[in-house]
Amino acid sequence: MAPLNSSKPDELQVLVEEKLSARRLTLNRPKQLNALSFQMISQLLDLFIAYEEDSNVKLVILKGKGRAFCAGGDVSAVVRDIGAGNWRLGANFFWKEFILNYIMATYRKPQVSILHGIVMGGGAGVSIHGRFRVATENSVFAMPETALGLFPDVGASYYLSRLPGFFGEYVGLTGARLDGAEMLACGLATHFVPSKRLSLLEEALCKVDSSDPTIISAVIDEYSQQPYMKEQSAYHRLNVIDRCFSRRTVEEIISSLEKETLNKKDDWISATLQSLKGASPTSLKISLRSIRQGRLQGVGQCLVREYRMVCHVMQGKISRDFFEGCRAILLDKDKNPRWEPSKLEFVSDRMVDSYFSKVDDEGWEDLKFPARSNLHVYAIAKL
Amino acid sequence: MEQQITRRTQVLTNHLLLHGEPTSLSAAPPLSSNSCLNYSPPELNEPLSFNPTDMRVYLDSHNIPDRDWLFGLITQSRLFNPKQRGHKVFFSPDYNQSMEQQREMTMKRVLYLLEKGVFQGWLTERNPDAELRKFALLEVVGIFDHSLAIKLGVHFFLWGGAIQFFGTKRHHDKWLRDTENYVVKGCFAMTELGHGSNVRGIETVTTYDSNTGEFVINTPCESAQKYWIGGAANHATHTIVFSQLNINGENQGVHALIAQIRDADGNVCPNIRIADCGHKIGLNGVDNGQIWFDNVRIPRENLLNSVADVSPDGQYLSAIKDPDQRFAAFLAPLTSGRITISASAIYTSKIGLAIAIRYSLTRRAFSVAPNGREVLLLDYPSHQRRLLPLLAKTYAMSFAGNYLKQIYVKRTPESNKLIHVLSSAFKATFTWHNMRNLQECREACGGQGLKTENLVGHLKGEYDVQSTFEGDNNVLMQQVSKALLAVYIAAKKSNKPFKGFGLEHMNNPCPVIPSQLTSSTLRCSKFQTDAFFLRERDLLNRFAAEVSQFQAQGESKEYAFILSYQLAEDLGRAYSERELLQTFIQTEATVPAGSLKNVLALLRSMYALICLEEDAAFLRYGYLSMDNAAAVRKEVTKLCSDLRPHALALVTSFGIPDAFLSPIAFNWIDANAWASV
Repeated sequence: MAPLNSSKPDELQVLVEEKLSARRLTLNRPKQLNALSFQMISQLLDLFIAYEEDSNVKLVILKGKGRAFCAGGDVSAVVRDIGAGNWRLGANFFWKEFILNYIMATYRKPQVSILHGIVMGGGAGVSIHGRFRVATENSVFAMPETALGLFPDVGASYYLSRLPGFFGEYVGLTGARLDGAEMLACGLATHFVPSKRLSLLEEALCKVDSSDPTIISAVIDEYSQQPYMKEQSAYHRLNVIDRCFSRRTVEEIISSLEKETLNKKDDWISATLQSLKGASPTSLKISLRSIRQGRLQGVGQCLVREYRMVCHVMQGKISRDFFEGCRAILLDKDKNPRWEPSKLEFVSDRMVDSYFSKVDDEGWEDLKFPARSNLHVYAIAKL
Repeated sequence: MEQQITRRTQVLTNHLLLHGEPTSLSAAPPLSSNSCLNYSPPELNEPLSFNPTDMRVYLDSHNIPDRDWLFGLITQSRLFNPKQRGHKVFFSPDYNQSMEQQREMTMKRVLYLLEKGVFQGWLTERNPDAELRKFALLEVVGIFDHSLAIKLGVHFFLWGGAIQFFGTKRHHDKWLRDTENYVVKGCFAMTELGHGSNVRGIETVTTYDSNTGEFVINTPCESAQKYWIGGAANHATHTIVFSQLNINGENQGVHALIAQIRDADGNVCPNIRIADCGHKIGLNGVDNGQIWFDNVRIPRENLLNSVADVSPDGQYLSAIKDPDQRFAAFLAPLTSGRITISASAIYTSKIGLAIAIRYSLTRRAFSVAPNGREVLLLDYPSHQRRLLPLLAKTYAMSFAGNYLKQIYVKRTPESNKLIHVLSSAFKATFTWHNMRNLQECREACGGQGLKTENLVGHLKGEYDVQSTFEGDNNVLMQQVSKALLAVYIAAKKSNKPFKGFGLEHMNNPCPVIPSQLTSSTLRCSKFQTDAFFLRERDLLNRFAAEVSQFQAQGESKEYAFILSYQLAEDLGRAYSERELLQTFIQTEATVPAGSLKNVLALLRSMYALICLEEDAAFLRYGYLSMDNAAAVRKEVTKLCSDLRPHALALVTSFGIPDAFLSPIAFNWIDANAWASV
């Protein structure tokens, strides 16, 4: 397959270090905030598959170079490829990315991700499915896809739907940013380690020589601390979130939020409403349905469904919001996308349904995973 | 004998020794881990020939996102008793709680769903979409717990439905919104100790006092006490009372009125006595009670007056002069009850099958060769024969249930009779199937089926009631046959073609069954419908002949029916199964060509052939020759092995989330490990 991004092939986009029985992988595109290129995804996939079979490897550490862990998939490259011709090239990108997500979610060996800095979209996909996620005071997590005309993919319908109450709907629909303390509180992170201790932690992890999750957890615990949760944190608003984001439809979610502000002004709710009203109506509806189906499905089923959805988005037959979102946010940067349909009530159930059906295109297939044998019970439980 | 001993020694040695080179016993651990069983998830070994989410669209048919929303609401709340078993969490009521605790939990769950907006529009919106959504959500509730579904069913479908159907605007305005918001809690007092299915015989009496403008409701004797009234024992504040209406000394027949039985604080009202029906074999989350009315006075406006009214000065007024028709109008809400019961029987069958089939794809027993690996339960042809025909029937019933719901929500005055007959036939057929299916599933799970947490055994007690409530199954089936006979008599009398209830096939020449049945003939829908037509046609002719023969002997028409009960039962079954087969074929026709359609064809053939195999009428009356019957039997076993590779995908397509199945459906070794208990 032709390379899907413009970076020079000789540039090492993923740095590999072998440390006794640990392998440290560093995402190395700091200027692009380590956005995942097709090449990076392929490389990570090859490495993870090889390490699983390699008895010398017991632990995989994944981190990012610079101020971001990973800002997501390299969407602009995908859009360029689609613009150049066939949407199926874009679909190939997601195929590979979702396979990587699946391998990580069902991985037999522990993966420790150091979530220092930005963790968004595809960046969450290559970390949250792993066994250990270490947040820091600089972590910024978000699934901002609805503002881009996309939806939370990379298996997000699996992990968002498993957050407490209806916090996942809130995070997935609004694209709200979470800091390290909030990530730990809601379970997106398993540990919180101050960034100044990260190098010591990594050093210690490289010496662990074990795949036993309890041992590894104990090592990270030594460097962990209980973070301070800021007063304005959305996590203190779980009651409102559960009341409103549990409603049946996006329209009802919005009207219940509006009802909350009838009696008194509330900045947090106003901001929440603003994000919802700025997002693509189609994205909001398909995202809500996806998260709700995800709550009842295994990670594999979630990725199969999301792959169908993402193919419909790339194909652009039902709506072209994704291209409009990329134009407004990433290319022209006017931050003023003109969504079509422009309002929630114009997005019919039938339109939403079609995102979840097979894609009618010559030779198109549902996502298929490589066979996985001898899965650990922990991984099986996720199936 | 000696061979056996040698083999057993070998097996024991294998247990005790490590694999590889022989070592001395003392050097090896007492039990080797190598011979231990490992759980292997069926998903890893059973390739899917189609995507189950696509099949689910045909099974659930409507409001799938709403169903998933409600499943999610349940799994996000501790009120629904999440229980960790191994690495999985399951949601099911704690059936080990006392009856009182179970009832309180049911009510708390109702209020949680209320707060989340689940019941929005259940009574205040009246259109097909809203009605289908209500059905879908109630089905999901029933997958969690039958008590919770019944508690809602009584409040919304019986109490709320009675107000909708029998009431007029003044009742709608006063009660529907308050009912939807649980400002009032309703129940439905129809059944009495002395009268169940025969509602016309109830003994409660209501008179009118024109001096005060009030009705006076009275329980004249012990057999007239209201019995089994769901919600009455603890929670209900109001009830619909079914009663004979006696105006100026003349009995006008059964009517429905609204009476308050508790105040807002839950104290029982004056002149009302309530007792508790007590512990039952299942459904203990529903507070069934007994009610006595001691000359209870209610305002005149509380008569539900869509069918008949009483003027302030005490004159009886009714648009329907015929008391029989008036009575029929009063039974209308029971139709929706039979539809929801039919659907709930299907979903419960699905739970049983999903658990038993998943277990049979992971549990092994006995090896064929000495020291060979033990065989997976579902790889035994006998195990396939036990479960896969039930799976095919459950598919057939899903499609038929969807058809019934569709014609119900689009009902017209003309279709009422059809809905009545179809819902009676399906309610009886599906609920009998459910009980039989659960028993087979429980046995197929062996001892594990006995554990309450594994559901398959416990659900028998929870769902047994379905066979008799909202109309005893046997009585319903007799009514079906009576309705068919009426069509028969009408056609013969007027010498016109048969019309209605799908009997139009009676107008065609009698189908002929080939003497030689090949596999491809047996799997052909033309042959299958022909066989079903032939049976129904002949049984209807026989039934009509027998009834008229009894009448010729001087028996009354009613008693002639009673004497012809055997043919009536056979005919009811023939009608029901023919409708099922036809809706299956109709559904199949909407599916685009591909693997999914092919699997449906296998299931349809399995459904048709298992009916041919199980109903003795085919041989008794010679619709099939003995050779034919042998060919059918052989084909069933072939279909079993054809369906075997699809078993996992077929139960996955039910769309029941893992959390609503049970530990034996997943890693049962992990769930029972020392670390998990």
